Amino acid sequence: MDSQNFYEELIEYDLNPYLLFDANGKVKSYNKEAEFLLNFVSIKELFQLAVSNASANFGFNQKYIALKYNKQSYYAILVGYLSEDEIALRLYKVVSNKVNTINNEKLKLVNIFSLIDLSKNSTLLSSSLKIDELYDISIPEMRININNFLLCLNECFLYFAQDDKISLQVQIKIGEYEIIDNNKYKIVALEFISNRKVEIDNSLENKAINANANIFINHNRLKLELPIIP
Amino acid sequence: MKKFIAQSEASKKILNIAQMSSSLPVNVLIIGEVGVGKKLLAQNILPDATYFEAKVLEETFINDKFNIDEYKELIILNIDNVLNKKEFLTYLNGLKIVATSNRNLTDVESQFAIKIDIPPLSKRVEDLEELKKIYLHEANNIYNTNIDINDVELDLSLNGNTLRKSIYKTVSMRALSDEDMMESLEYFISKKFDEDKDYRDLLKYFEIALLNAAKIKYKSQLKMATKLNLNRITLRKKLEQYFKETSSTTQGI
Repeated sequence: MDSQNFYEELIEYDLNPYLLFDANGKVKSYNKEAEFLLNFVSIKELFQLAVSNASANFGFNQKYIALKYNKQSYYAILVGYLSEDEIALRLYKVVSNKVNTINNEKLKLVNIFSLIDLSKNSTLLSSSLKIDELYDISIPEMRININNFLLCLNECFLYFAQDDKISLQVQIKIGEYEIIDNNKYKIVALEFISNRKVEIDNSLENKAINANANIFINHNRLKLELPIIP
Repeated sequence: MKKFIAQSEASKKILNIAQMSSSLPVNVLIIGEVGVGKKLLAQNILPDATYFEAKVLEETFINDKFNIDEYKELIILNIDNVLNKKEFLTYLNGLKIVATSNRNLTDVESQFAIKIDIPPLSKRVEDLEELKKIYLHEANNIYNTNIDINDVELDLSLNGNTLRKSIYKTVSMRALSDEDMMESLEYFISKKFDEDKDYRDLLKYFEIALLNAAKIKYKSQLKMATKLNLNRITLRKKLEQYFKETSSTTQGI
């Protein structure tokens, strides 16, 4: 194997995503991680990210920047270009210390809609927020850490308490599963949709982790995903 | 046990939250001004639980006199009076707690999955009306009177606490017979003797009440003097003595 092929293979199997764009933002090549990443973020957005963080002159520019696409967070990027025709982008993953296990001791079988109602009513007692609710009532009772889930939900409702109107959709994700401790669970998604851009801090993220939930932000949407543990 | 009155929309929601919370293994914090019904609501959530004043409980922790194993759930009143709330709640870890507080507790809010903020009575009009009816009915029954609510000067400064007191006070005073009043005065004066008051000092308790009532009834000093059959100069002197009034500031002369 010559060194050129060796470097190509190294990039292909790198745990960090790598993309090479042409001058028009079209992807010329990418590795496996980038292929996975493109499920959650558009090529256009990544090209913009590369262009806006490129060095003024030909060369490479490293920048520490917090990014999150789907469940994966990134702490830095590397942008490089040696001609006007190509620009490369590499994203550096944050090492996750989240252990994909669940403490069964504190889980109780409960109707998730009761908890949503309880959290909504107690948090929004003096708020005039209107909520359009779209609930899939076929969601069965599931095991939840009630205390931690309520603390997480309270903060979500509190975040939108000053809005005029949001919608809340609670549905099972069709065809998607979460593997925890070698068990496969269906996923329920609670999606809050606002008329403004959603930005959250670490506090809510930590509360979601404590509630065994994953949290996703996408422009005006905040989504919590929980495994349906029967 | 007394009921938490829930006639207003806000209170109905609050009661609903309380009922839903009672079966869940989570701590509840009830926040509100004095007299809004925090303790009643706490007892609605945990009807069989023992309740403690937080400050008293804190002292029993310090003296190591509290046996936590005796309890599964507790109502803690006025938890905002505890100095180190985190340590206090750590001590109670494992119990279901319903705590009340007069103010928000940002330092330990993560310990309470449910927070219920009870608005003051003045903002719960339907509850206020219902409470007025209940207290007036109670007081009229006790004193065998038929006082109308419009004749009562209501005090909402401490919500239900002062509302009840103000209604009972008016009704009880209206219910006094001449004999009751004389007996009451006798008791009042005998207590004042302990403060070494002489005849002149004690006279003011009669005269101020008499002059106040006459002022309200007759409006002017001239009419007061005529109706009380009192010399106008004497009346003026007494008004000056007790109310710092002079003829120039008194209307209707």
